[in-house]
Amino acid sequence: MFGAPRHANAELTVLADTNALELDGVRRAFGGVVAVDNVSIDVRRGEFVTLLGPSGSGKTSTLRLIGGFEQPDSGSIRINGNRVDHLPAYQRDTTTIFQSGALFPHKTVAENVAYGLRMRGVAKADIPPRVKQALEVVRLSGYEERYPAQLSGGQKQRVALARSMVVRPTILLFDEPLSALDLSLRLQLRAEIKRLHDEIGFSAIYVTHDQSEAMAMSSRVAVMRSGRIEQIDRPEKVFGEPANEFVYTFIGESCCLRTQISAGAAVDSNGAPIDLRLARRLNDGAWRIYIRPSRMHLDRTDMENGLRARLDFTEFLGDVHRYHFKAGKVELFVDHPGAVAHAAGDLIDIGWQTADMMAYQ
Amino acid sequence: MADAHSLSTDATTAPAARTRIDATVLRILALGFTIFIVAYIAIPVLVTLAMSFNDAAAVRFPIKAWSLKWYYDFFGSPQWVDALKSSVIIALGTTVISTTAGVMAAWAFERFNFACKSLVYLLIMLPLFMPGVVLGLGVAMAFGDVSLFGVNVYGSRQLVMLAHSLWAMPLVFMLMEATFRTVDHRIVEASYDLGGRPVQTFFEIVLPSVSTGIISSALFAFVISLNEFVMALFLTTRDTQTLPVLMWLSLRSAGTPRLAVASVILAAAVFVSLSLIMAWYIRQLRKT
Amino acid sequence: MNVRAVSEMEVQDGARRAPRWRMRLTPWLLMAPALSIALAFFGLPIVFMTRMSFNEHIDQRFYVPGFTFDNYAAMLTDPTFSSALWTTMRLALISSIVTVTIGYVFAMLVWLKPKRWRLLFIALALCPLLISEISIIFGWWMFFPKNGLLSYALTSSGLITDKISLMYTEFAAFVGLSYVIFILLSIFDGIDKKVLEASADLGAAPVRTFYEVLLPLTKGGVAAAFAQSFIWAIGTYATPSALGPDTLWTIGYLIQEQMLGKHNWPRAAAFSIVLTMGVAVVMVVIRMLTSKRTALNG
Repeated sequence: MFGAPRHANAELTVLADTNALELDGVRRAFGGVVAVDNVSIDVRRGEFVTLLGPSGSGKTSTLRLIGGFEQPDSGSIRINGNRVDHLPAYQRDTTTIFQSGALFPHKTVAENVAYGLRMRGVAKADIPPRVKQALEVVRLSGYEERYPAQLSGGQKQRVALARSMVVRPTILLFDEPLSALDLSLRLQLRAEIKRLHDEIGFSAIYVTHDQSEAMAMSSRVAVMRSGRIEQIDRPEKVFGEPANEFVYTFIGESCCLRTQISAGAAVDSNGAPIDLRLARRLNDGAWRIYIRPSRMHLDRTDMENGLRARLDFTEFLGDVHRYHFKAGKVELFVDHPGAVAHAAGDLIDIGWQTADMMAYQ
Repeated sequence: MADAHSLSTDATTAPAARTRIDATVLRILALGFTIFIVAYIAIPVLVTLAMSFNDAAAVRFPIKAWSLKWYYDFFGSPQWVDALKSSVIIALGTTVISTTAGVMAAWAFERFNFACKSLVYLLIMLPLFMPGVVLGLGVAMAFGDVSLFGVNVYGSRQLVMLAHSLWAMPLVFMLMEATFRTVDHRIVEASYDLGGRPVQTFFEIVLPSVSTGIISSALFAFVISLNEFVMALFLTTRDTQTLPVLMWLSLRSAGTPRLAVASVILAAAVFVSLSLIMAWYIRQLRKT
Repeated sequence: MNVRAVSEMEVQDGARRAPRWRMRLTPWLLMAPALSIALAFFGLPIVFMTRMSFNEHIDQRFYVPGFTFDNYAAMLTDPTFSSALWTTMRLALISSIVTVTIGYVFAMLVWLKPKRWRLLFIALALCPLLISEISIIFGWWMFFPKNGLLSYALTSSGLITDKISLMYTEFAAFVGLSYVIFILLSIFDGIDKKVLEASADLGAAPVRTFYEVLLPLTKGGVAAAFAQSFIWAIGTYATPSALGPDTLWTIGYLIQEQMLGKHNWPRAAAFSIVLTMGVAVVMVVIRMLTSKRTALNG
């Protein structure tokens, strides 16, 4: 570190000063429909930020604004500190891995990967070694002369990845790159992207609607709804301390107890009392109480909160059993590893900690 | 496949016997029609082909002796060889002009929005629907005594090329507009994304993915120009006469087996270019 | 702070403006060759011909500048013209009906037959387009007339004693057959073949299915194909004048005759303008029919 040449060091300082990407109050409407509404995100160098949201939440539109396929109506986009919001895609230092891969069907794998280098005017002699290295990185050495039609879905996405990474953009944009693949391939490529990020340390924005993908890969997750960012934070924070009900329900599976609290006692929507014991005192009114099914425990009365409910039926989900309960009109389910010695119709005590619960009025 | 499922359909309908008779009648009708249309297309072609090998001096059936005499005659006649040369030059010129202009215009229509789009569309397409007589006459009148750099425009091959482009260009335009619409927009975006400027993207990504469309519309342009003779009749002089024009004129005076040879050669030119393109296309298919 | 704000505005402005005017100009540059061909070799001649049609024709000179409606008036009084108009319309109508009928059945067969036959059928359909009209004319000319193959076959077999001359113009109704087939085939390809099974399943016999299901679904395509071949047929003159009887004059032939034979340019121009307008009217009618169809569909 001390031995590094002077200006290399100086350059590093300058680069480290600026964020890879800064979105500030970006807004874009399509014929009256606001797709991206006042979105602000900073992506630090080497950071992997995921935009997570249901379809129509504006995450892909945001990515297209960053990539330069759309122009914002207002707000600013900076890459390396330079304003780029009105530059076309070909003048921006970003590359996108598309959902379909969007490989050029008439070019070989090597030609596909070389394309961005050629377009950026990289010296002819430097291109083959860089292509070779990029294909090694995605473990596709030996596939240089194949055409996209001769590759499997997973291989296509690897080529797309190599094609985008080889130009070493300031920021890589992933547009749901794994959603067209089947589950096992998806998990495998997910791990591979994660490994590449750890090894190379590129900056990235990753769009997905799959919360497990977002959790597994990201430095930070931005949960989006109707064009807005609801919360942006580290995955553990978003999971553990969701900013609001939407984030809580979107980020993981949950049960919702819809109850009416009157004078400290809980009743269901018919007014029938339910046997609910809460550590926290809730005001009178209608409440939606959320608990993750994996954080509830069966046959426990020693926990901070409790509910006595009747076992309705059981589902076997592979690694867990899912127990469905009814307490009056309130329905909930609990995931429990292994079977329990209860039959349908039994009254069972369910317990959970206050930290695992969210209540919204 | 289709036969199989039409059978199964038949089996599920109520009175099986009646349906079977219906199906047989339909099959016979279809066969009859196919024979009819093959005959309709093949008769003039086969008659011409046979006549071209006739040894006699007149067009007369039955053919008593066969020979290549009229082929030697055709290639020995400077007038006919020149006409063939003219035809090919004009057809090639038309192909280049109309393919370039048509492809560019189609790309503009596919990629951009601009004022008066439907009016421009009408203007480009309208000549395709105009009778050749009208177009030929109009161009002849408008350019009859125009000269550029001391050279008469009227009677020049270039004028015929441009006149033929009035039919060939809208056709290329129409075909290419449909073809451009099939281009996967995502690969165009991917090219921009990787730093390809619009012009680079057009040549590197868009053109190769529509190459089949371009080649086939160019072929159309070539064939139209090669076979066209009404406009050419109005626009050529003795020196620039095309083969179909010469054929038309000599058909009016007296039909000889030489005409049959010319027909065969004209058709051969078309089929040779067609098979060249087929060969290219098959090679292209094998590549991907 | 201030300096930074200014430079930022410049960057934004520059980046904003350059692509905008370029975006506006690019399509016109791209269309320039096509537009100039259309304007110079179609627009200009039409203007020229319109002017020409009001000139006078005196003696053997091509035209004498002037302003007269004589050339249009002549069309109303000249029996040659009215008979040519009648001939043209009749031929165009008959040949369009023949072409569309043949094209329709052909396209339907291609659509119904298994995929492996398709390439063969398409090649067959392309033939009329690939072979020059003049070659076809010559082929039929050899087949039909007095010493043609057909009459040879008929007379030598003793069926008839006199050599025949057939009325074969309609026979050579090749004009636009390929186009008609492709227009109709594209319509058929848009129909799910399962509708046939559905109809059969509901108890309709094949002929019934055709009337109740296929014909309504392909109506628009038939109209478009018919109009297309009609337009092409009005303009044709080579086939009828070469194959038909000597008195069979179409407008196209009349125009050629006035221009090349009589050197009467104004008259030829006037006929051309009328023919052009006729084509334009047919096109407008098609446009209206097809737009009504889309309006009905949704």
